[in-house]
Amino acid sequence: MPKVKIPRKSTNIDMTAMCDVAFLLLSFFILATKQKPPEVLSVKTPSSVSAKATPDKSILITLTKEGKVFLMLGDETKKSAIIEDVNKTRNLQLSATELAKLKKAEYVGVPFNQLKSYLNSPTEIPAASLAGIPCDTTNNELTYWIRSVTNVYAGEDQRKLQEMLLVKGDGEALYPVFKNIKDSFKANEIFKFRIVTEGEAAPAGSELAKAQKSGEK
Amino acid sequence: MAEVEIKKSSSGNKRMNKKTTRVDLTPMVDLGFLLITFFVFTTTMAQPKVMGLNEPIDTIPNDEICNSCVLTVLLDKDDQISYYEGMLENFPPVKQTLFAVNGIREVLLQKKEKVRVTTGDANDFVLIIKPGERSTMQNFVDIMDEVAINDIRHYYISEINATDKKLIHFQ
Repeated sequence: MPKVKIPRKSTNIDMTAMCDVAFLLLSFFILATKQKPPEVLSVKTPSSVSAKATPDKSILITLTKEGKVFLMLGDETKKSAIIEDVNKTRNLQLSATELAKLKKAEYVGVPFNQLKSYLNSPTEIPAASLAGIPCDTTNNELTYWIRSVTNVYAGEDQRKLQEMLLVKGDGEALYPVFKNIKDSFKANEIFKFRIVTEGEAAPAGSELAKAQKSGEK
Repeated sequence: MAEVEIKKSSSGNKRMNKKTTRVDLTPMVDLGFLLITFFVFTTTMAQPKVMGLNEPIDTIPNDEICNSCVLTVLLDKDDQISYYEGMLENFPPVKQTLFAVNGIREVLLQKKEKVRVTTGDANDFVLIIKPGERSTMQNFVDIMDEVAINDIRHYYISEINATDKKLIHFQ
């Protein structure tokens, strides 16, 4: 039998193409991921089967584990108008510099009577030591904030406003505080708002899973 | 591995040695993939989702609902659920369950089936949700999820009243 000679080939492979792919993927992942602003308030949202996406701009009410309420006015175009409206309607008598400071702030988390001292504080007060916006039945300041929001958005598309109103609550926050937030919305005749949740798949075989499946077809 | 092949020229002695420009790219590939894995693992790809919540307008009078179509769910502390069928005036037996597939979901599906048998339309089922003072946001979202999962058309979010409290207390 004649011997079959297998020609020896070098095991060196040209790595250039692989290198190209690796860095292409790398640059894609870096560019594709949105830079999330660092979260000042740590909130672990409950999971839900709802699959609606969060809007880009939002008026976000954050409810922390301790039951404190913070307000974030995410719509930059309306933020200053809302703050000025609150200043005017609640007669807060904030000076121009204080107003400017408040407009720059990422969130509001103090009662009206502490707002002045909070804004004039030389050092940054961490969110954990703030009192939050009072929203209980005796002193519901959140209602006034939401009223100002509705005042500013009065001429706008109300549907859009409803989509922007978000409540982001910690899973461990107690329900009564959430109810107070709900009531503040209700007091301003807002009956629809949204809750920020973590995505979760609908359980197999349930009505929702069937509905989602038929919707996809 | 990072070798640069040098081909020795055999003839030329005055000419410069010709070097190949081929560089071993293996370490660079390694680095590239390492960075990819790092970025993929550190960035949270899952964006938060939102859940819609509609509130009834209080001023509109409530419609009449059939007595046997109602199921009231009371959310208690430690993820406990108490529930009873029908109206409170009849002192229905209060049962306990949990947030689980064979817990509250089973209860809701059974009640829905019962309503379908008695009235002919499963959508006559009315769920009344009463979150207690010790229940959490997670409990509330979970029960709203169950509403969505089981396609319950009519639900109402209410408060635990004194009679409810009595009923749970005497269990």
